[in-house]
Amino acid sequence: MIPSATASAAPQSIRATLSVADVVTAGDHSAATALRTGLADWWSGTKNVELWLTLAWYEIVLRYRRSMLGPLWLTISMGLMLLGMGPLYATLFNVPQNKFFPHLTLGIIFWTFYSTSIIDGCNTFILSARYLKSAEFPLSIFVWRNLARNLIQSAHHFVLFFPVAWLCGVPVTPRLAFLIPGMVVALINLHAITITLGILCARFRDIGQIVASVLQLLMFLTPVFWFPESLPNRAHFILYNPLAQLIDILRLPLLGAAPASGTWWFLLYFTILNVVVAGGLYAFKRRQLIYWL
Amino acid sequence: MARLTLENVCVDFPIYGSGSKSLRHALAAAATGGRIGRAARVPVVEALRDITLRLKDGDRVGVTGHNGAGKSTLLKTLAGVYVPSRGRYLRQGTVSSLIDPMLGIEPDGTGYENIALRGLLMGLSRSDTARLTPDIAEFSGLGEYLDMPVRTYSTGMAMRLGFSIATAVPTDILLMDEWLAVGDAEFQGIAEDRLRSVVSKAGILVLASHSPTLIERECNDVIELSHGEVKAVRGVPAAIVTVADAIPVT
Repeated sequence: MIPSATASAAPQSIRATLSVADVVTAGDHSAATALRTGLADWWSGTKNVELWLTLAWYEIVLRYRRSMLGPLWLTISMGLMLLGMGPLYATLFNVPQNKFFPHLTLGIIFWTFYSTSIIDGCNTFILSARYLKSAEFPLSIFVWRNLARNLIQSAHHFVLFFPVAWLCGVPVTPRLAFLIPGMVVALINLHAITITLGILCARFRDIGQIVASVLQLLMFLTPVFWFPESLPNRAHFILYNPLAQLIDILRLPLLGAAPASGTWWFLLYFTILNVVVAGGLYAFKRRQLIYWL
Repeated sequence: MARLTLENVCVDFPIYGSGSKSLRHALAAAATGGRIGRAARVPVVEALRDITLRLKDGDRVGVTGHNGAGKSTLLKTLAGVYVPSRGRYLRQGTVSSLIDPMLGIEPDGTGYENIALRGLLMGLSRSDTARLTPDIAEFSGLGEYLDMPVRTYSTGMAMRLGFSIATAVPTDILLMDEWLAVGDAEFQGIAEDRLRSVVSKAGILVLASHSPTLIERECNDVIELSHGEVKAVRGVPAAIVTVADAIPVT
């Protein structure tokens, strides 16, 4: 087939529209302008759902393209881990299996969701350098891509909860509705953390390592495997770690319990702090990021 | 109506070495109140110095200069990638950069998947991309290969795909780092035609190149960069007479 040059005659109505805004000025450094353009940039990336969802989807599909079971491996490897750990730890902690297994399943699933989102978040802009260096993309696209990819992965893990819940007789209660605000809080915080760490890690390459080691430590200090009730009173302070609270707001509703009001208050302050820091970095450091990549 | 303006623009690249980029140095600098300021200060490369350009519809600007003169940096600044450390940048109209025609090409995806992905990256909607896909597929001449992963393509074939997608839509402002030369002799001929048609539909063209003949053929203004500064500006005599108002402020 000999292609013809006339094939280039694209319909006039279609034009490439990469630009964030039609008129872009730089050099104005007032705080109000920075906040306003920062928000506009964030929104223009956020509303381009098609783009970030497709980017995230391809990342997963292409990673597993050549394997027979594909993304099902995510489910299988998580399932194997749960099967191995469940009976062992239930015996070690001396807790009935049908109480422990759902707790452990959700604990590991949500811990994995949070920790991989955060660790991937550290590299989200560094790994998008090629995009950012060749055209002006709203940064939020790469934040959402990171979050969407981790949500898709987590959904592959989450299906394991259904057989576990059925086997262990986990009750379905109206408290399940708390899952909705729980998920909103989780996503806002992960989004903000990704912005903050993504920008900081681009500038200071050590922070990624620090985050990874802190998360490793936190995994044992967070009630992922164990029950918060088994803590002696004087040790309750270790529950004041945001990840313990963030796991609670997703896990408790699914197990038929309501997260404590203290948890919501704690997370309200944590979320505000997170959003303020991320918003500030996004507004004031966004345009400098390119020089750090 | 496309406009692209740089006013007294400077672009500085901070160079973070293995040491100065580290947290330790930043913390040390903060803790010592800047007393070790000299050690903590990041060396800066002045990539562009005091550039003023006013481009509007119909301008065809060639950028020349030695290696490291700032040609690519100028293009990326015009694209909005680098924010000037001083000066003003103003853009009106959509911009498309052919700086990296292979951007977003996933080796494990098929040709068709890559068309869809790249279309979205260029700011097209999924339905627009779907409408353009037959055109792109035909133009690339890759036929059944488009159903295969791009990793099985030869370098030339992959370039053909990238080129076909990148040049599928017209844009107000077109930025190019070197004239794209892709494919075998047969494809080069039609690629040339296609590129020329995209260029002719663009309001503004900025083309960085080392080839004087190419610039003379395609452009009506030439900017010569040297060490990040505009060394000379001239109209190309052979070109059609249009506005030539690239003003060096040095």
